[in-house]
Amino acid sequence: MRVPFAGFSAARLREFAPALVLAALVVLLAVSTPGFGTPETLLVVLADTATLFVLGVGLTFVILIGGIDLSIQAVASLSSVVVAMLVPRLGYAAFPAALGAGLLCGLFSGIAHVKLHVPSFIATLAASGVAGGIALLVSGARAVTIGEAGRAYLQWVAGSVLGIPAIILLGAMVLVAGMLVQRYTPFGRYGLAIGAGEAAALASGVRVDRHKMAALAVSGVLASLAGIFLAARMASGSPMLANQLMLPAVAAVLVGGTAITGGVGGVGRTLIGALIVSVVRIGMTFLGVNIFAQQILFGAVLIVAVALTIDRSKIPIVK
Amino acid sequence: MSVSSGPSPLALPGRERRALYRARLRAWAPLLVLIGLCLLIDIGNPRFLTIANLVRVATAAAIPLVLALGTTFVILLGSIDLSLEGVLAVGSVLTSLLAANDANSLSFGLAVVPVAVLAGALIGALNGALHVGFRIPSFMVTLGIWFAGVGLATVLLGGGTVRVLEPLVRDVALTRVLDLPVLVWIALAVLLLAWVIQEYTPLGRYMYVIGGGEDIAALSGIPINRTKVAVFTLAGAFYGLGGVMAAAQLGVGNAMIGDGRLFPSVTAVVVGGTSLIGGEGGVLNSLVGVMIVTVLANGLVLLGVSPYLQQAIQGLMIIAAVAVSIDRVRSAIVK
Amino acid sequence: MLQTIQLSKSFGGLPALRDVDIEIRPHEVVGLVGENGAGKSTLMKILAGVQQPTSGSLRRDGVPFVVHNPREAAALGIGMVFQEQSLLPNISVAENLFLGREAEFTRFGLMNWRRLHAAARRELQRVGLDIDPGRRTAELSFAARQMVELAKALSLEERVRGELVILLDEPTSVLERAEIERLFARVQDLRNRASFVFVSHRLDEVLALSDRVYVLKDGSVVATLPAAEANVTQLHRLMVGRALNAEYYMESDQAPYAPEVVLQARGLGVVGAYRDVNFELHRGEVLAIAGVIGSGREELVRSIFGFLPHTEGELRVNGLAVRLATPADAVAQGIGYVPRERRTEGLVTLLSVAQNITLANLDSVLHGVRIDYGQERTLAEDWVKRLHIRTAGVDMPCGSLSGGNQQKVVLAKWLTARSRILILDHPTRGLDVGAKEEVYRLVRALCRDGLSVVMTADTLEETIGLAHTILVMRDGNVTAVFDAVPGAKPVQLDLIEHMV
Repeated sequence: MRVPFAGFSAARLREFAPALVLAALVVLLAVSTPGFGTPETLLVVLADTATLFVLGVGLTFVILIGGIDLSIQAVASLSSVVVAMLVPRLGYAAFPAALGAGLLCGLFSGIAHVKLHVPSFIATLAASGVAGGIALLVSGARAVTIGEAGRAYLQWVAGSVLGIPAIILLGAMVLVAGMLVQRYTPFGRYGLAIGAGEAAALASGVRVDRHKMAALAVSGVLASLAGIFLAARMASGSPMLANQLMLPAVAAVLVGGTAITGGVGGVGRTLIGALIVSVVRIGMTFLGVNIFAQQILFGAVLIVAVALTIDRSKIPIVK
Repeated sequence: MSVSSGPSPLALPGRERRALYRARLRAWAPLLVLIGLCLLIDIGNPRFLTIANLVRVATAAAIPLVLALGTTFVILLGSIDLSLEGVLAVGSVLTSLLAANDANSLSFGLAVVPVAVLAGALIGALNGALHVGFRIPSFMVTLGIWFAGVGLATVLLGGGTVRVLEPLVRDVALTRVLDLPVLVWIALAVLLLAWVIQEYTPLGRYMYVIGGGEDIAALSGIPINRTKVAVFTLAGAFYGLGGVMAAAQLGVGNAMIGDGRLFPSVTAVVVGGTSLIGGEGGVLNSLVGVMIVTVLANGLVLLGVSPYLQQAIQGLMIIAAVAVSIDRVRSAIVK
Repeated sequence: MLQTIQLSKSFGGLPALRDVDIEIRPHEVVGLVGENGAGKSTLMKILAGVQQPTSGSLRRDGVPFVVHNPREAAALGIGMVFQEQSLLPNISVAENLFLGREAEFTRFGLMNWRRLHAAARRELQRVGLDIDPGRRTAELSFAARQMVELAKALSLEERVRGELVILLDEPTSVLERAEIERLFARVQDLRNRASFVFVSHRLDEVLALSDRVYVLKDGSVVATLPAAEANVTQLHRLMVGRALNAEYYMESDQAPYAPEVVLQARGLGVVGAYRDVNFELHRGEVLAIAGVIGSGREELVRSIFGFLPHTEGELRVNGLAVRLATPADAVAQGIGYVPRERRTEGLVTLLSVAQNITLANLDSVLHGVRIDYGQERTLAEDWVKRLHIRTAGVDMPCGSLSGGNQQKVVLAKWLTARSRILILDHPTRGLDVGAKEEVYRLVRALCRDGLSVVMTADTLEETIGLAHTILVMRDGNVTAVFDAVPGAKPVQLDLIEHMV
């Protein structure tokens, strides 16, 4: 979103803060850990970030309109199970199937939220239950490995192109598509308007209900794309595969600068946020902090990020 | 707008009276659903309505009830507490590390109970303080604390699991009084405590006032911030106690012990009839809600349905419950 | 006993009260009358502690005081029965009566319900309400709840020594005859302990109940007279004042409208808000709707834009029956809405001028699915020039524009959307004189271009000055229709007669 240059103000600083933080972290890590600054390591970082980023993009669209999607990890897991189970039998057709599953989950949340007036966090929490339950049922509550034959079909994600992991290229495509949609399409414009002023958008004839449904559907599809990425990297699918990804995804969106109150932020910011989360995770692993302890940090970071970016004038009564 | 004339000027006009009857009917719906559910399951498998099975149901409902009671108080305010799993984890880990166990030589016996409850209360107080002090929406604060709590529990354990060896603690789950494990009696005692708080203390009444109209409450001088912090603290204490009970029941303490307990808890509260907007419902509603969720799980097993579908069915139930109960007039913009 | 001295209140630079001096003496009933927006409600809210004055002071028995909320006001014996009810529907009557005072009814930290209910019953008897205090407030009728509110205000009697001041804000607008009489009887009974301030648009009632009457107009006190010496017509005249220069509303520019009917309502109604509304809006016509709060005019306007779908009757746009279920439907029919709440409903203040202008018709700058930013900018700059919108650039966020210029952006939005019917909801609210003039000029120009306008205005002057036709509403019905031809315009008195 274009904000006119108004000189050096606190708001301007806040806008660039995430990028500055990322730069600082990278420099810090490169200086303190040998081997971090090499191209190989950077590619690994980017590859690790790709899944988180794709997950975050869908979430960004939902948070931009002032909602939240708590179903992303369940949908990603379900998608990985779908891929694992269908690739041996259907080959490439397994992928549209997985995306379709994500779309259905998104529509489920959308209908509950828009038609039944259920708050988005409950609607998506419920969708998470439904998706998780189906994933458990279909997989028998265990990981499903993808055999040799199946793995061939995953090469478009797991392989490399000219030395660059395909997953990074796919992530970049999502980034570009996301930014284009956000900036140049009615979907992007309406999302911004609804998030920044839902009452005014409604009174201007924007079909708010339709948009909200679409945003949740997109989130579902992108979550399932992330699930496909995970399946490819792990060469397996499991109903628990995306556990532990919810918090980093939310952190990526919020730390990147998209406000939980909506109307401010975007896909580009989520990229920076995702990179920050990745770099912090790598840094902590280098320091020997185990993954669960990292959660404490992320929990605190989340709260701080929200405290800083939230627009309190939009919510007179905080619940 | 003029009130239409009726037999007594203070009586409700026809349209409003019908709405009143509909509301009263809605209030009884959860109980009717529970009864209907029990009957249906018994038809499908007569082993449902046997003493042995009902004891099993009661035992399975004990911990969820304690958790749901804490959640109820927060939801009555109009807020939400997502930190349940994290606080429970901390409670269980503290219990297992401080009572006789297989990882260290500490052995404080039943004194761990107040320690765990206190720890839960402190985390709850933190939730409340951050929410109120920085005006951050409750679901954001508790989301962060949820994962921080799980992380904290892991750190305390140094990874892995600890087995509880203290007989007094294990007896909480193993000893039976009147054929019901002590767990169930604890849950009933907590239910009574929660009910007294709700009906007989100013704190309990303030929950309804804040949930029913926070702006009016503010104008009337109700101590809103203090009440909110107190409610989150209370919820945390309940979750901490739940952690003790879980450690007793499973005989272990680990950070994953709370996994998957948040969703059934929220489902139970909502399905029981407590409104997410706040100000409506209460502990008795949540009792019915917990029974519905527990009976459903038990019934699925008895009917041979895959237990994996449990969360899917819970998801559908919560949507149905919210959709039916939500007051559309009050919240024009749903986020 | 209660005095305001040079009391003033401004909202964002716009004055609602100007140097108001009011006195409420012991044992008297003071009536407060005035048009919509005259400042009555604001004055009451300041007295009750709900709002703070911008300047001026309040005195109680000669001693200056400041109250920050109703609780503090109550401690001084000032209580208010609100127009929008202040009872919580989800708790019992008894709890509502003693909201904030729970501590007085506890024993060992636990609530003593018996004592609370007994006290509640006593308070309710005072207003003649014989109901179970344990009943949920939501279950009572509106009228009963009003009486509970009165009981709550009167309960100050027990808590505060000395004289009370009870503020009644439009208490009778939803009461039946019998209840009104009961209310008045109570007021008379309590004279020896309390003074009352009685706000109402029902002038006959005000005169019947009050000892003295204050007339407010445009935030100032224009008259104060003993009720015994006044009559309704006199009050009307004082409330509305002299008519302004006709050219202020450019009446000479008011061209006759075309015969073509663009919008038609037949038996239109929304249950609980308004009923049986009929009108025909012609091309180039300004149809104004006059009425006080509760007359149904706000709801009627919302219905025409799809916020509140009508439940009875039919609406026809260009001859075709339509059902406007959402604002998007209305926009698709060529209807635009310039709302009262400019900053929340009119504009997305965080977005730029250009982004707001295209919001109702993004198609105008779309190539396929791609937004052409260059085209959008050009379009916006064109409007800036045509409507003389003062802004540093079309990329500036709308929040940085002044009220008048924001209003022009909203208009530009609907012109971009090619709306043929414009709904203007209090279009000059919050604007200074110069900006208002520009709005009037624009309205005339729009009509000349063949647009039709449905308008609800802030003042009767504006209503009469701008309109071709005036619909007057009261209590959900249309009570009169006036033709407002330049040179033969109705006077405000004519309208008020049918409004109150």
